[in-house]
Amino acid sequence: MHKLYTKYKTTNYIPKKDSRGGRILQLSARFKNAGKSLKRTGKEMRKNYAAYLFLLPKLILFALFIVVPVVWAFLLSFQEYRIVDSNVFVFLDNYKAVFESEAFKKALLNTTIYTVVTVPFNVITALIAASLIHSLGKFAQNFFRAAFYLPTVTSMVIIAMVWRWMYNYEFGLFNHVMGLLGMEPINWLGQTDSALWAIIIMQMLIPFGVGIILYMASMSSISESLYEAATIDGANAFQKWLKITIPMLTPSTVYLTLLSTIGSFQVFTQIILMTGGGPGYATETLVHLIYKTGFRDFEFGLAAAQSVVLFFIIFVISVLQYKVLNRNK
Amino acid sequence: MKGKMKLFLSVLLAIGFVLVLSACGDDSDGATDEDGNWTGTITIWDGPRWAEEGDTSGEEGKGNQYFWLEGKIKEFEEANPGVKIELVQVPWAEMPDKLGVNIAGQSWPDIAPVDISGSAVSIDHIDQGVIEPLNDFFTEEEMGDFYENALDAYTYNDKLYGIPNSITVHSMLLNLDLFEEAGVKAPENGEWTWDEFVDAAEKLTFDRDGDGKIDVYGFSTYILPGYYEAWPFFYINGGQPLSDDLSEFAFDSPEAIEAIQALADLKLVNEAAPVSMGGADVGGTFQAWASEEQRTVAMEPWATWAISSAQTANPTNFMVANYPTGSTGEPVTIGGVGGWTMFKQESDAKKEVVAEFMKSISDTDEQFLMSQSYGIFPARISAAEMEPFAENPEMARAQEMSSQVVMLPRHPEWKKIDEIIQRELQLVFNGEKTAEEAMATAKPEVEALLGE
Repeated sequence: MHKLYTKYKTTNYIPKKDSRGGRILQLSARFKNAGKSLKRTGKEMRKNYAAYLFLLPKLILFALFIVVPVVWAFLLSFQEYRIVDSNVFVFLDNYKAVFESEAFKKALLNTTIYTVVTVPFNVITALIAASLIHSLGKFAQNFFRAAFYLPTVTSMVIIAMVWRWMYNYEFGLFNHVMGLLGMEPINWLGQTDSALWAIIIMQMLIPFGVGIILYMASMSSISESLYEAATIDGANAFQKWLKITIPMLTPSTVYLTLLSTIGSFQVFTQIILMTGGGPGYATETLVHLIYKTGFRDFEFGLAAAQSVVLFFIIFVISVLQYKVLNRNK
Repeated sequence: MKGKMKLFLSVLLAIGFVLVLSACGDDSDGATDEDGNWTGTITIWDGPRWAEEGDTSGEEGKGNQYFWLEGKIKEFEEANPGVKIELVQVPWAEMPDKLGVNIAGQSWPDIAPVDISGSAVSIDHIDQGVIEPLNDFFTEEEMGDFYENALDAYTYNDKLYGIPNSITVHSMLLNLDLFEEAGVKAPENGEWTWDEFVDAAEKLTFDRDGDGKIDVYGFSTYILPGYYEAWPFFYINGGQPLSDDLSEFAFDSPEAIEAIQALADLKLVNEAAPVSMGGADVGGTFQAWASEEQRTVAMEPWATWAISSAQTANPTNFMVANYPTGSTGEPVTIGGVGGWTMFKQESDAKKEVVAEFMKSISDTDEQFLMSQSYGIFPARISAAEMEPFAENPEMARAQEMSSQVVMLPRHPEWKKIDEIIQRELQLVFNGEKTAEEAMATAKPEVEALLGE
């Protein structure tokens, strides 16, 4: 018997994977440990069965309404959906169609531009707004917190309708103000070079209420002693904000950036209500395209493939963001 | 105590089990009674139509707008013991999406009001067997009572896939107060040529208060996939989107290009239309013509519903006119046909009862009543001959336009083709492309779909 194996069997020694035998034994050890870990989990579950029973309804709902549809969508992405007859398995044809589609490429580009501009802007402005509000008195803090959070609880449908009026060429607010300033009016939603930016500007000007609330909560938990030490070292207010507040808020920034990126990649309501994806394909976005593919064209297989691609895009970006923003940790 | 608890839990479990089983059971195919008649439940979806005169019940004071169908259901149930008809009330705005989702989930109703050219049900659904053909339930004589274009709209591969109930047309609505204000004569009998129309649009574009800004424009419309108010203008010189055999893209013909560019130029060159013309704002476009606070546009093309809106919700001094004629000299408009569609049935016995009910709600008397009360044009010749609009000259004028109707191409990929064309048209109307450039871009994309 190989001496490494003997050592492994008798002492649980895990060899380095610099030899073929070492690699096999290491793999075997991993399986063994995974088995042990599963056993341990099983034991723990039996011990805490009451807690798991309480969790069960939520887990069942999660499985029924999240896991099953996600798995089903993934399987559907390899099929041609037939309403009455059985679906036809088409392997990668739907994915091929997705990547060959000009509309998908345009939608991906538009969604990426929208996300790249709005996410950093919203997170940074939330940070600045929260920092300014945090330095105010209790009453003013409550007032601004509520004021900035209000758009978050307002339906996007209402917000989009109001903004559509504000962008109206003939009697909209923006062109009226521009007229007073002697500027030429802009056909905000009617021209390809301005329509996407009009949607982006709208998103940028809606306060990121969740971000402000979260940042303020995190700021309250930063130890005062750090600021006192910095004061003794002669740091001014801006230096303290830059060197203490911002680094200490990194976990919140990571969370908000991820949350905001996922939300931005799923932009839909304002598109369907304000432009319908036009003019041309100037404001076509991924979720709007998926919606049309599914519920207008009834091509659910293709729509599922588009959704899976969107899922992986969001997944990869989220992992990258998480790694980059957490690199100093 | 422990025993009682066990008993309670067992009973609870048994009830749950029975409930689950009964929920899983499917009695939608019904049964047959001892006389051989089918008994069971039929589900019908419908949107709000009209309320009885004087009925102001409901949150918005609109009354019960389902009373007509409820009455017909009651009559049918009384005449057919054992048959129950369940009415599902669906707001019209939600109908396409709700129907689409239910079709996808194979939980369709037995009957629904469907415009076969609309967004919820398509030729593809017929191909997939979602819609039942109805030829077996009509005699030749009965079929002869429907307008040919109404039957055509529901006919595919020589089979009838719905009972036509109403015809809608697009027509030009002219605000006569603005015509008077600008000193422009309205077209006699609503008939005019393209040059006369452009001349009127230019004269109707004026600065009311002398501040150097235009307050009223002659014409406006919008361009959006699935909407066709502007399209009759593109047909006036003989153009059409696809060739007759549906094998080629035809909006790149000189006749179509000239007509498309001419309408866009009404804004871009003649400046007789607002900058927002050709945008995607349906509500804003209508408000500009109809809303009492605005009325900044003198002429707009709309479907039939707008006539009734201008007579009731937005009282306006208006007239109905034809689309102007082009080089063909023939007026043309685009129409739609509404009707009742039967969704896939498993039981032949049930199918017969469903068809019987569908016929009972779309006979001559019902179509006449619906025309008068709901403002649509009957699809039955016999109902039209009863002159439902004898006291409503604007509706009567629009009804005359039914003879000018051309139907949209009946291609399974029409929704995608429509989107490609309309997206390019948007770029023509905002001046980013010429009609020729836009249609040249659309051609290969459309022909790729036609070849599939």
